[in-house]
Parts: sequence; C-alpha cells; structure tokens
Amino acid sequence: MSIEVRQISKSYGSFQALNDVSLKVESGELVALLGPSGSGKTTLLRIIAGIEAPDPGGKILFDAADVSATALGERRIGFVFQHYALFKHMSVFENIAFGLRSKPWRQRPSNAAIKAKVEELLALVQLQNFARRYPAQLSGGQRQRVALARALAVEPQVLLLDEPFGALDATVRRELRRWLRKLHERIRVTTLFVTHDQEEALEVADRIALMNLGKIEQFGPPEEVYERPANPFVYGFLGSYNLFHARHDGAGRGQGETPPTFVRPHDVEISRDNADGLGIAAKVTHVGFAGAAVNVELLRLDDQQHVDAALTIQTYRDLALKAGDQVFMRLRNPHSFYEDYAI
Amino acid sequence: MSRAATLQIRAAAAPPKAKRSAVGRLLVAAAVIFLTLFIVLPIANVFTQALSNGFAAYWQVFFPPATDPAAHLTLFEKHQLADQAAHTWSAIRMSCGIAAVVVPLNIVFGLVAAWAVTKFRFRGRVLLVTLIDLPFSISPVIAGLVFVLWFGRGGIFGDWGTRITWPDPASLSWQGFSGHWWPFTFANSYTGIIFTPLAMVIATAFVTFPFVARALIPLMDSQGSDEELAALSLGASGWRTFRTVTLANIRWALLYGAILCTARAFGEFGAVSVVSGHIDSNDTIPLRVEKLWDGYNMQAAFSVATLLALLAVATLIIKAAVEFKTGHDEAAASAAKE
Repeated sequence: MSIEVRQISKSYGSFQALNDVSLKVESGELVALLGPSGSGKTTLLRIIAGIEAPDPGGKILFDAADVSATALGERRIGFVFQHYALFKHMSVFENIAFGLRSKPWRQRPSNAAIKAKVEELLALVQLQNFARRYPAQLSGGQRQRVALARALAVEPQVLLLDEPFGALDATVRRELRRWLRKLHERIRVTTLFVTHDQEEALEVADRIALMNLGKIEQFGPPEEVYERPANPFVYGFLGSYNLFHARHDGAGRGQGETPPTFVRPHDVEISRDNADGLGIAAKVTHVGFAGAAVNVELLRLDDQQHVDAALTIQTYRDLALKAGDQVFMRLRNPHSFYEDYAI
Repeated sequence: MSRAATLQIRAAAAPPKAKRSAVGRLLVAAAVIFLTLFIVLPIANVFTQALSNGFAAYWQVFFPPATDPAAHLTLFEKHQLADQAAHTWSAIRMSCGIAAVVVPLNIVFGLVAAWAVTKFRFRGRVLLVTLIDLPFSISPVIAGLVFVLWFGRGGIFGDWGTRITWPDPASLSWQGFSGHWWPFTFANSYTGIIFTPLAMVIATAFVTFPFVARALIPLMDSQGSDEELAALSLGASGWRTFRTVTLANIRWALLYGAILCTARAFGEFGAVSVVSGHIDSNDTIPLRVEKLWDGYNMQAAFSVATLLALLAVATLIIKAAVEFKTGHDEAAASAAKE
C-alpha cells in the first residue's frame, strides 16, 4: 500500500505547522520523517493517520484511493505512540487482542483464532512469556514492542510510528531500531516513522524525508541525503560540521562572493608534517576522548578560527596528539551550497 | 568515579537524622490541636449527647417501643415517640431518595463535563472550568434562594414553575394490566416545583455538581487522549473506546468523586432548607436534626445527627481506600508518560 500526500497544509492559529507538503511513499517502504522539533513531522504523521485533519485543499491517498475524509478507525492504519498508549488495565494479551475483539461481530474471529493470532504476534515481537503481564510490569522497550504487536494485530495497510524509540535509553534504542529493520524486512508493510535522531533515520530507513519549518527539505535514500545534501540545513542537521568562509587570498575576489564551505569533523585530516605544502597550520587546543572517536579542537594559526576534528583512536595514537601541539590539517569532502546558504 | 557514585547514593539513601525543629513541632501541635477542637471533639460530642439518656433512648429515636416493654411510658409519650420516629424515617427516606437521583445524575454530568474540558480544546474552555467550580464558591443558601426566585410565585419561570404537575415517584404502585398497557401508576402527584422534593433534588444537584468533575479533570488531563486514539485506530467504536478505555482508566477517580458527591448530598443543608419550605414531609436528615433541635429535643437531634457522623466516617474510610487506588492510577499515568 503506497501513501501519497498531496499539498497538505496545516496551521494552528497563526502557526503554520505544515506548508504545502507533498510526499509519496512506495508500497513496502520504510520511510523516516526526520527533523528538529517543531518541523511538522509529527503533525504530518497524525494527518496521514487521520488523527488530525489537514487544512482544506490537500489530499491523502492510500494506493490511489482518497482517504482524506475517512475516519481514523477506517483507514486501516497501525499507529504506535511515543509513550506507547498501552491500555494499562489490560494484560499484554488483551492489549494485542483489542483490535480483533473490536471488530463488528460478523468479522470478529473466534476466541481460538484470536488466541492463535496473539500468540503469533507475541512470538514476532519476542514476548512469548509476557502475555499475562500488565504494561506497568514491562520495561520501556517491551512496552513499545507490545504497542507494535497491538498495531499489527489488525493487519494494517500502513504502519505509522511516532517517535517510536524516543522515550527509551540509548542502548535499548539501538537494539530496537535494528530489530525494527529486521521486522520490516519480514512483514514488508509500508512504514512511516517520525524521529528527531538522524542516526536512527540513517540506519533504519529506506528513504528519509528531512523536514524543517513545515516543509520537506529533501527526500531520498540515506546515502544520498548524507552525501549530497540539498541545502545547508540538511547538511547541518545530519551531523556536526565546520564552516569555512571564503579565504581572502585575492584570487576569488573579483568574481563575487564565494559561498562558505562545510566540512565534517571526521573529514579534517591531521598530520605532523607538511610535505606537500597544502596543509593549514593549526594548534591543538583540546583533546576530548569520546569512545570510538577522539574529538580534537584546533585553532587555525592564520585566521584564528576554531576547527573541530574527529580522529579514529588509531590515528590519534599514531599522532600522539596533546594540547598545545602544532600540526597541519587538510580538508576532505568540502561542501558548498551556491544558493542561499543561510542556516 | 564509580566509588564516588556509590558513596553518593548511600549518602542520599540514608535518611537524615530525624531532628525536628521547634517550628516543626509547633506546626504539628497546631494541626493536632485544630483537628481535636474542630473535628474530634464535635464528633465525640455528637455521640455523647446522643447517648446521654442511655442506649435505649438512642434506639427509641429510630425504633419506638412497642406496647409491652414500654409500660412505664404514658400513652402520650408513646405516641410522641412513634410520631417522631416516623418523621425521622421519612427524613432518612427523603435523603436517600434525593441522593439516589442526584448522584447518578451528577456522575453523568461530571463525566460529560470532564470529558469535554480535558479531551477537547475549544473557545471558552477556561470559562467552563471556572463555571464547574461555581457551586463551590456560591453560598448554598443563596443558590436555594435563586431557585425560589426562578421557580417560585412571581419568579422568572414562576408561571410555569408553580403550575407544572409531576408524579411523585415514591407513590409508584401496581395497577394491573386491565385497561392499560403499562401496569404501573403513580398514586400521587405534585404541583409546582418550589417546596417540593423536585426543588430539593435540583438544589442538591447544583451544590454537589463539581465533585465528580473535579475528581476526574486532573486524572483525565494527565492521561491525555493517546489511549483513546489508539483504541480508535484499532477500529474500536466510540462507545467501545469509552467503555473499555476511558471509563476503565478513570473508574477509581469516578468512584472517589461519587463518594464525595454522595456525602455532600446527604449533608446538604442550606440550599435544601430554603427550597424545602420547612414542610415536615420534605425534611432530609439535616433538616430533621434542625427541627428536633428547635423543638428542644436535644437527645433525639443528636441521635439523628449520629447518622450523618457515621456516614462521614464511612465516607472517610472508603475515600482513603479509593484515594490509595487513584494515587496508583495517577502514578501509573505519569510513569507511562515518562
């Protein structure tokens, strides 16, 4: 089931949450809606779900069928909330069975069928032994898996996840996002999830829609979004960076202004010697150890600009850097944006 | 690093040496003195006065003596006791009847109001929240008076309010099927609203309105509407969502509000006093206590008052139990949010 969003706008009073957004998610895709808070990603998800109504004019299509006027309960979506929204007073089993038991009695499966279905789903989310527990007795990750199983019980055409791992701690989050990826490969239901964590989006999604201020800035596969960002916002949102303004070396001056250049910290190369003469002289001001990487703060000696570099442990050991050392740096993969570069 | 952390945790876990300051002692003493003076002593007084002539006299207020064991009483005394007991029972029935109508009514109103205020955002919402609290801030006597001014003779709805005829539900009786398709009938009917039980129901409903809504609003606010949306997205109907999700989540708070509402309905004096017209047959328990007191029948007045005191104690116990439950519910709601 593909999802198509056509010219959706949404405003709350004077605040424009979504501004003429269009998006097409292909059937079976896993798409991330990525953006900072207030970018409208959750609003878009809730509009697709039917929880909120868009401003008149836009359209939501599920496989060519216009569902803009269809009620939440009839869109056949599975919605997973950031805070799980499990039914507290029901056991895990009853939570998952809820959708099946809510069907009109003609379509309602027998108790045996419901039991079989719930057990199948419990196995899918690896919670076979938890059927009798209550949500309060589960950890955050387990609750989120129950919420997912509950949403899948009604065999939705589309799965919508609102910051599914937002309330979990880092380790569980990493584990769950891998698990979600695998689950999606197994069940292949069109999935759209909202996140503000770029790492999560890059790792899990087939395609990423990067949103800012109620608009989609770029929509594409993770590599494309990361390697060929459409604009400075996308570049800036996907990771930290150094910003270099045009150097006043006289050559570029006649041809107008040179746009600023963006370089990721891990693309700043550091060496002790300057054999080719292209290195920029800099002084190490601080060395910060951050697990797998070492963050080095540099001060350019020519224009006194601060530059962040990220080295692998190995390089760091080979160089034996410490604060106060004088080194040479080279910039790999510089990015420039020729149109408006205001961030 | 880790050693420092453990040490810190241990330091935090060890309770600070219980050293009450002078101010703390003073505050505790003030609270204890206040409670004793204003709650414990009056209740004790109610019971001592009620039992001042012995338990037999207390018992006779409700169950007047039959002929033989009360041979020492004159016929007049026996009639007087029987008459007063009949009035007391009528008051008890009236109070129970009013509560039986008002509490379910206010459960529905309170639910609807709390639902509207917490699950929707609309213009005038804050005003509505304030209006729900209005009965708390208005003197019940004034409220009663307003109803008299509305429905009484010469009132705004006076023409209608004095002429309307409505059946007395207490006079429901069996009439059989001969000539009717409906086998029940009301033997009596009332005319007018003011100075009838209907006015007392209206006045009590007004005064006790906020309790259910007040008990529900904070809980429903903290729960948000995610669970309802989840239920709807799973294809549940609105009614099923309300029944299995909303109602299930608020059941303890609803019970809590209903208990407070019941206690207030039984205890209401001012508004009911105004609209009852001091007619004997309209007396509720508090009005009956007042009349016995005014008739210099102290012991009987206090004996009837023990009913209200016992009701208050029972309410406190149930309330504490339910509070314990709602506390858990609210903690669960906030835990789920985190």
